Amino acid sequence: MDFALPEELIALRQSFAAFLDREVRPLEAEHAREFWGEYPDRDSLAPVVQSIRRRSAEEGFYAAYMPEEAGGQGLSVLGTTLLVEDAARSGMRLALAAIAPPNPAGPSPLLVKLPRHLWDSYVFPVVAGTTTMCFALTEPEAGSDAQSIRTKAVLEGDEWVITGHKHYITNGEHADFAIVFAVTDAEKRAAGGITAFVVPADQFRRGKLQWNLSDSHPAELYFDDARVPVDHVIGEVGMGFFEAMTFLNSGRAYIGAQSLGLAEWALDAAIDHAQKRTAFGRPLAKNQGVSFPLARSKADIEAIRWLVYHLAWRVDTEGDALGVMGDASITKYYATETAFEVADRAVQVFGGMGIMREGPVERVQRHLRMLRVVEGASEVQLLVIARTLGL
Amino acid sequence: MKIAVCVKQVPDTWAEKRLKPEDSTLDRESAEGVLNELDEYAVEEALRLIEAQGGEVVVVSMGPERAGETIRKALSMGADAGIHIVDDALHGSDAIATSAALAKALEGRGFDLILFGSESTDARMSVVPAMVAERLGLPQLTFAQKVEVDGSTVRIERQAEYGYDSIEASAPVVVSVVEKINEPRYPSFKGIMAAKKKPVDTLTVADLGLEPVTVGLAAAWSAVDEFAARPPKAAGTVIADDGAGGVKIADYLSQQKFI
Repeated sequence: MDFALPEELIALRQSFAAFLDREVRPLEAEHAREFWGEYPDRDSLAPVVQSIRRRSAEEGFYAAYMPEEAGGQGLSVLGTTLLVEDAARSGMRLALAAIAPPNPAGPSPLLVKLPRHLWDSYVFPVVAGTTTMCFALTEPEAGSDAQSIRTKAVLEGDEWVITGHKHYITNGEHADFAIVFAVTDAEKRAAGGITAFVVPADQFRRGKLQWNLSDSHPAELYFDDARVPVDHVIGEVGMGFFEAMTFLNSGRAYIGAQSLGLAEWALDAAIDHAQKRTAFGRPLAKNQGVSFPLARSKADIEAIRWLVYHLAWRVDTEGDALGVMGDASITKYYATETAFEVADRAVQVFGGMGIMREGPVERVQRHLRMLRVVEGASEVQLLVIARTLGL
Repeated sequence: MKIAVCVKQVPDTWAEKRLKPEDSTLDRESAEGVLNELDEYAVEEALRLIEAQGGEVVVVSMGPERAGETIRKALSMGADAGIHIVDDALHGSDAIATSAALAKALEGRGFDLILFGSESTDARMSVVPAMVAERLGLPQLTFAQKVEVDGSTVRIERQAEYGYDSIEASAPVVVSVVEKINEPRYPSFKGIMAAKKKPVDTLTVADLGLEPVTVGLAAAWSAVDEFAARPPKAAGTVIADDGAGGVKIADYLSQQKFI
């Protein structure tokens, strides 16, 4: 057993930290007020997010996990996990734009299963951060039970014709193209009847934006006889579900890493506040009612950390195999639920400022509340864990 | 074109620095060691020059074992090879001894350009580039905010309070750069991995042909007799405004000779 992080990943973290400090921190300060309104001022923030994404891609951070032949750096899941954690831990909202995962706007590793002649259109630009994508799986009647999707694709000559309605699609509003899951064989469904397609934005219609409690705002997408050439299939026809599963485990490590980083930021902020803020003639931290919850948060964070790093290490060691799935579910479940509690304690320590939009931790708790629902709700993770127990 | 970049490992710019009580030298263990920020600009400039014109960049550093991390960082930015001057006898060397060691390491290697950051963030003397140039008998173009290499002519814009001076010299030449010159790149994962395989030569005082008595703390031309920690910040003076607050503040400023 060796729990030491490899020296090259420590060097990479330092390099990424320098990038965040020099290039993102000044922008975060400049645009802080735009985050404070009832809703963030998306129109003025969009170009800022875009510029950070491009700069980070130029410097090799944004999509470092993509293979070298796709324009990435071939960075391990553990390495990517550390960068996702560090972006979240920086406490800067804009830092989340500097590293693609777990935001589906960045390149999905699934894209490398497209034929090579399509990479100039769908792989290299999204790896370079000049375009973005979205992952269109969820439908009004198919959430956790994703294989119940109704969107269909029918082959007509040398084109697939896609019909259906997707919702809760993160970055649906801005995406240049979507990875769309559609039924190609109603009999087989998940067992060989669902196919993943890449569909350019001019082939779908964006419905209404769906405001939720987090600062992300997914969109509805309508596919009214959307047409794509036969070569726009990701992997094999009918194997879309299996293709998607391939990267599920690393995706869960990244959700865990973001939860970890946000929890660390919330705890650091709460500790600082508890030491500086005085009430009844002494610092808040002098009360065990304040210090013990924060001590529990520290213990929780270390538990999250080692679950997340261990999952990342397993994916790197064993591949993104189905056998790792139990650990992936444990990590996603525990990291999001526990980090939410850490953020909740931080909000309580901050008191009035804790619930203010302009305060340091309010949005962290909202974001973590969202993570308990998306990418497999906690109950879905518990279901997977129960199955690994033979239940 | 063959370019040397001299770099130094310094304590993290933002860290609280301490001196060691036993010999009054910098306690290098007390803070994280980083590549001196201005040297990053020198490395970047060297990389840009060879990317445009072809050639090789060699990073040269004098410092204890852990200064090897700094060489590795410059290599991960894209430099080709490193030279690490490391020897316990060098501990406590002043700028004069440092320049002697660097000059010995640089001479006879056919460098067309020897780049430096214009100062280190720990010592802030800005003298080593000039001393190395003098020892090697080379022209020095210091405080460059722009460098152009045109055949064997090296032209710089030398930063000045009133703007800049354009000066030039024939290669080989020593150049020091200021932060205005470029935006240094960040080591990427590929760069970090590639750096692991790049060669770093280690040189001792004996390898350089220097007498140990001419370097190190005992040979330094200046000595620190004593030092004291910075006094804790004193509580400020609070003036309650009872209608004459402005006058009291003016009196205070006058007493302190600010006005």
